[in-house]
Amino acid sequence: MAERKRRNILDPAVADLLAGMEEKQAEARLPKREREKIARERAKMRARKDHRVTYDLPPELKKQVGDLAEQMGVAASQIATYALIQFLQSYQNGEVDLSKFKVPSRSPRYEWKLVFPKSLLESVKKKKV
Amino acid sequence: MFIFALANQKGGVGKTTTAVTLASGFAQAGLKTLLVDLDPQGHVAFSFGQEKTAGLYRWLVMEEPIKDVVQTVRPNLDILPSDKNTEKVKRHITLMDFRESLLKDHFKRLKYDVVFLDLAPSLDVLHINGLITSDWVIIPTRLDAMAVDGVKEILLTMGEIGQKGHQFTGYSILPTFFDRTTRETITQFQEIVQTFGERVLPPIPQDTRVREAPAFGQTLWEYTPNSPAITGYQNGKSKAGGYQQICERLMEVVYG
Ligand SMILES: Nc1ncnc2c1ncn2[C@@H]1O[C@H](COP(=O)(O)OP(=O)(O)OP(=O)(O)O)[C@@H](O)[C@H]1O
Ligand SMILES: [Mg+2]
Repeated sequence: MAERKRRNILDPAVADLLAGMEEKQAEARLPKREREKIARERAKMRARKDHRVTYDLPPELKKQVGDLAEQMGVAASQIATYALIQFLQSYQNGEVDLSKFKVPSRSPRYEWKLVFPKSLLESVKKKKV
Repeated sequence: MFIFALANQKGGVGKTTTAVTLASGFAQAGLKTLLVDLDPQGHVAFSFGQEKTAGLYRWLVMEEPIKDVVQTVRPNLDILPSDKNTEKVKRHITLMDFRESLLKDHFKRLKYDVVFLDLAPSLDVLHINGLITSDWVIIPTRLDAMAVDGVKEILLTMGEIGQKGHQFTGYSILPTFFDRTTRETITQFQEIVQTFGERVLPPIPQDTRVREAPAFGQTLWEYTPNSPAITGYQNGKSKAGGYQQICERLMEVVYG
């Protein structure tokens, strides 16, 4: 506990560095099989990084995808994958018109933003799947 | 004017390297900076590819004006060099009254934003003068078995000076020659962090490029700006250590 307290008031870079070094050292003391397991998991995590992305979604939509995945007993990522495939197909077939949602953005990074009417989000909520 | 001293009675811990690198870093950031060599070895001038001179002696003993004895080595950066005449400065001081504040008194007339004092690895009268002049002491230390002891020695001396009425604003401990793969470094780093807590700055990695720079008369910012000694370790998403980060930390010290 005393140690904890002391570390709370360390320079943040010192605390991070020390924690990292101690973790590595503790790992080095583990039996070979454990070490290999950690190395494998780390490699897996690294490989997965290319598959990862973060999008901001309306909470309701996130919940819908999550609930559906739960109900079907699959990963939400797979639901999202299929949803995006469907969207892109429709888009490429000219079946989607985004322009009606487009308004100028005040953000310095983007020229436009898409504003979806409330009813559109509600439309997927109401139907019970 | 804010005055830093680089101090450790132990030799070869990176005092001069740190003084030269921080002084040139602060000068680049636009602060009018003076780097004073209090060591007769005269390594400061050498680090900028200059000849040693008797600058310190001429200023403190011959009472020549500062502008005649400093050398401007970079924009915003003056150095006040030392050479073997600095030994005579020590004798001069020893024969004086108020011997411990000679250097401090001379600084009252100067107009710099920040000053770095590179102290010699000895506990003599000039060393004491350097500490008494400073607002903040930076204690570089290698992480070997005696590291904590060396730091404690300096703190003891600072304590004695404090009892004579000099107020330090504070001090920092700077781990140097850091090698995060050796067990000794980890053990000593833990020990020094346990003992001194928030006083411990992020470390300077051991880096062979550091040794080469003085021979070219170049600072690390010029010679090898992307080497670990400057940029530190990549630690997850954040950086840890290196002179760049130390400059940032000490900038906070100067500007509160
Ligand atoms: N981080 C580092 N990695 C590798 N070498 C370094 C590092 N820091 C300093 N050195 C080298 O170590 C030697 C000693 O460093 P430096 O002269 O700065 O120490 P010092 O404490 O001023 O020594 P002295 O007590 O003799 O004045 C020099 O050759 C320097 O180039
Ligand atoms: Mg030195």
